[in-house]
Amino acid sequence: MIRLIRRADVTAIHSLVSIAVAAVLTLVISTIVLFLTAKAPVAALMQLLTYPYQGGTVIVQWSKALNMAAYLGVIGLGLSICYRANVWNIGAEGQFAMGGIGAFGTWLLLGSPTAWWAIPCLIMGGAFAGLLWASIPALLKTQANTNELLTSLMLVYVAAQTLFFVSNGPWQAPVRYSPSQTVFLPESVQLNAIIPGVPTFHMGLPIALGLFVVIALLVLYTPFGYRLKVTETTPRAARFAGYSPRVTVWAVFLLSGAMAGAMGAIYLMGDIGYVTEESNFLRGFGFSAIVVAFLGRLHPVGILLAALLLGYVAGGASWIQANLREDDSIAGFIEVIALMSTLASALFLQYRVQWRGFATQPQENR
Amino acid sequence: MEWAYLVLTLVSVLNFATPLLLAATGELVVEKSGVLNLGVEGMMIVGAMTAYFVGAHIDLEVCTVPHFSGVGCLVGTSSIPMERFAIVVLTGGLAGMALSFLFALLVLGFRSNQVATGLGLTLLGLTLTNALGSGSGDLKVGRVDTLLGTQASDWGIWGPLLNMNPMVWLTIILCLTVGWVLTHTRLGLIIRAVGENHDSAHTLGLPVQWVRLGAIVFGGLCAGMAGAYISMIQIGAPLWKEGITAGAGWLALALILFATWRAERVVLGALIFGFTLALELRLQTLAGLPSWFVPWLLPSLPYLIPIIVLTLISLDARVIRRNAPASLGKLFEPIS
Repeated sequence: MIRLIRRADVTAIHSLVSIAVAAVLTLVISTIVLFLTAKAPVAALMQLLTYPYQGGTVIVQWSKALNMAAYLGVIGLGLSICYRANVWNIGAEGQFAMGGIGAFGTWLLLGSPTAWWAIPCLIMGGAFAGLLWASIPALLKTQANTNELLTSLMLVYVAAQTLFFVSNGPWQAPVRYSPSQTVFLPESVQLNAIIPGVPTFHMGLPIALGLFVVIALLVLYTPFGYRLKVTETTPRAARFAGYSPRVTVWAVFLLSGAMAGAMGAIYLMGDIGYVTEESNFLRGFGFSAIVVAFLGRLHPVGILLAALLLGYVAGGASWIQANLREDDSIAGFIEVIALMSTLASALFLQYRVQWRGFATQPQENR
Repeated sequence: MEWAYLVLTLVSVLNFATPLLLAATGELVVEKSGVLNLGVEGMMIVGAMTAYFVGAHIDLEVCTVPHFSGVGCLVGTSSIPMERFAIVVLTGGLAGMALSFLFALLVLGFRSNQVATGLGLTLLGLTLTNALGSGSGDLKVGRVDTLLGTQASDWGIWGPLLNMNPMVWLTIILCLTVGWVLTHTRLGLIIRAVGENHDSAHTLGLPVQWVRLGAIVFGGLCAGMAGAYISMIQIGAPLWKEGITAGAGWLALALILFATWRAERVVLGALIFGFTLALELRLQTLAGLPSWFVPWLLPSLPYLIPIIVLTLISLDARVIRRNAPASLGKLFEPIS
């Protein structure tokens, strides 16, 4: 009935077509889900799409979207580097958490400074902690051949438990909070709002953008990026080219871990200001970033757009929750629907779909 | 060490091992057919939630104050008899199955990346349950009847063991049966042939896609039922909360790697993983431990020990390579 023929040449047109298919599928299915779940679906849909201009302060609403996009973009870019090299790091959530812990630990180690120079130190400390956490699955993968997918994921649970431990144990604030937390970082060590009155639009966002651009250039225009490209498309050629798989595994794990860790540090200094238990510290950036990496087809430009999209949707969902009392879980649904649509529509990128009518041709292409 | 204590420990180990074993049994068949479904966690949690809600609904007859939504019960002296519990577990399984159909559609129909699709399925399961399961706090779900009931004490120290839910024993039997079917029957040979080399199997005229569909759906059924065990049986009284499976689906996936795709070793591995989970409960009450052990290392043990065990197993790369289905996770493009 339907026959799939692998394309010999995949061009930009095919890519655009498959993206268009994914976008249409996402839009249609998300709308259906919204209509099934929302109390006032039409209003919810309208406000979800145009929420920055629905009466709130425009800059505040946009900055929420940009804030989330910054985290998703940088972490997703790091993960895409892993996935290009066929290394399945799905533990970015844990590396992000360790980044926050590492940054706070660095602040304590430096003797709780209040000067501005602590900020770069904390970011470095967070990146280093994320790097260390990611080095565990890398070490096990390279030395003992252990499945990195499972180990990196299991370490998320350990990292979450570590958050619980530090905020209840050694670093617990003298004043008791519920849930438990550490003391607040001093105002001077927090990343201040660029525009007064818009706390989500803080100095961490340009830092994240800078990091994103640097790593994107690394992926697109350097020998390392070329190495990734070869490993992604033809692993055999990578071996013949003399690229050591071990070095690749180490490089991608350490790089992605450091990126997630740095974002953990920025989150600590820009958005939350203290380390606390998992339920309050982690917002699922590490897992959403996996979606972002695949939505962007592992390409930096795509990842940037995907991060902006999911950030925008998340902002919209919290807007309709606050204003229309709709459930904000629609953001999660749209995220998953977009992922599934993108994965499915990759078919149209790789294959030519041929409809051959209802001719009797059993056994084939079921 | 007293015998009674050992029996209680065994009960605790079996209790934690059962959902892992059930989910792993399903995933074993899926992987043997050459498909890697990383959505086990998602299918489990959807099964857990569905079973809980159906459980709230199914003992409505003995309910004195029904829940205002019409589903479930606020006050009641109810308990769920065994035959009704079977329905509850099956609906949990069907929910897992529904998710696995989506996975099959994408992976078999749209030839999507198996790893990414499986991860997406897990995210879908978590999103679904967070959205639908939030309003369950005031539901009252009756306890599931036990086999012996109050007569358990007649059996002395063996009472708690004999009084366990039959799912425990059925799961072990199922896993060993699946192992036997895979190695000793024609059906098992077909599944293995498809998983080892899908091109050869296709050339032989085996319906590769249909075999894989069947395997994926079986995996979804098992994962959903495993989730039902977690929400209905595991802690004694039925309980539902967000993220209740707490990584059990990932542990099930780790089990299969640990067992190098052999059913009898899946059972052994489930007991080891179950032991680490049981250990957590036992050691919490122990005195004289360092202050960082109980809040930090102990709850991490169920995740650290699988990492260590997997590492030891993987040290010899040949062991994994020799036993892994050769077509596992690879794309099947039928040549017409």
